[in-house]
Amino acid sequence: MLARCFEEAGISATGIVLVKEHAERTKPPRMLWVPYAFGNALGQAGDPLLQHQVLKAALDLLDAERGPVLEEFADAAEPEPLLQASEAQSSGSAKGLNPADELTSLRPYYERWVANNGGRTAVGVSGVPQRRFRGVVRFLEAYTAGEDADSPERPDGVGVPQFIRYCVDDLKAFYYEARMEQRPGVTGSEIHEWYWGETAMSALIVRLAEAMNQSDDPAVKAIPYGLAR
Amino acid sequence: MPRLDTLSEVQRRMLQMFPCMEHDDTPWAPMRKPLADSRVALVTSAGLHRRGDRPFITDHQSGGDNSYRVIPRGTPAADIIQSHVSIGFDHTSIYRDINVTFPIDRMEELREQGVIGSLADNNYSFMGALRDASRAAAETGPEVARRMLDEGVEVAFLTPT
Repeated sequence: MLARCFEEAGISATGIVLVKEHAERTKPPRMLWVPYAFGNALGQAGDPLLQHQVLKAALDLLDAERGPVLEEFADAAEPEPLLQASEAQSSGSAKGLNPADELTSLRPYYERWVANNGGRTAVGVSGVPQRRFRGVVRFLEAYTAGEDADSPERPDGVGVPQFIRYCVDDLKAFYYEARMEQRPGVTGSEIHEWYWGETAMSALIVRLAEAMNQSDDPAVKAIPYGLAR
Repeated sequence: MPRLDTLSEVQRRMLQMFPCMEHDDTPWAPMRKPLADSRVALVTSAGLHRRGDRPFITDHQSGGDNSYRVIPRGTPAADIIQSHVSIGFDHTSIYRDINVTFPIDRMEELREQGVIGSLADNNYSFMGALRDASRAAAETGPEVARRMLDEGVEVAFLTPT
């Protein structure tokens, strides 16, 4: 759809699509369909060679004289489906910890991950520094318990439901990055199953999503699908 | 994406029912000069933005957040984060390597190799999975096109989540 806007303005567009069936309907001018899972458009993290192959194949489409061009990138990759949160049987903390203590126990791994990655972290959407995440957990627990909870960390102009989403995304990123440091070589699916199946945090998030689903307020009800599904 | 029949039931149904726009025709802007002389910008629908920039919002009632963010060339990967509305994908790949979705380092390499003429001063980011993309099609998409024209962009390279 964006490619169409750019072509109409006179800019040649090419790129990557993941869902062939959708591209066949929207008919972008030039697109390379890749067989990778969502989140892996260029193939594989840390594989610049493959990423360059994908880029070259998509850039080569600029040579086409007419379109639409929807070319398949040949790769036998068969990514495994990602487990959905609703399919994981959350057993809570395997170590009997509450979410705040569990988070604290993962902090050394998280901080090492950030240090080893040149300061790069996916945490930051909520704007709350990770050292204050225990307060975020208390806020989410209070909200889940039905209290009229708010957080002093919430930025102006961001409503409580949206802020909850940003907090949950940050907590999840914190856990995932800590886990990647704790278990080098762990796959995305393994982390996903661990997070949704074995952590006290995910059990809290599932309860939080259930509580928000009970609301009659559309702004609240819009959020839980993105927290756990 | 793997073929739909290899996906979980939840994902397959979501994708089959997704209300994407449909067209019979395709606008076509032919290359005006070789890629090695052209200026390229990245445009992603992965919901990326600079750290500290306004995150995208969850806006199901209006069909999704149709706004966009500017990510200047040279923004370090450490200063780019993602506020994507969907949780139905493996986030760990982009946590490990931003290039798997937003190939800023690969593009610099292609420029150094002379494959690409030059890189634009700005790249652009939208939210994907829009259930109603009409405002992006009518307003924010054309606005980004105008900005890119002003910045001398001749080729847009699009990446999804």
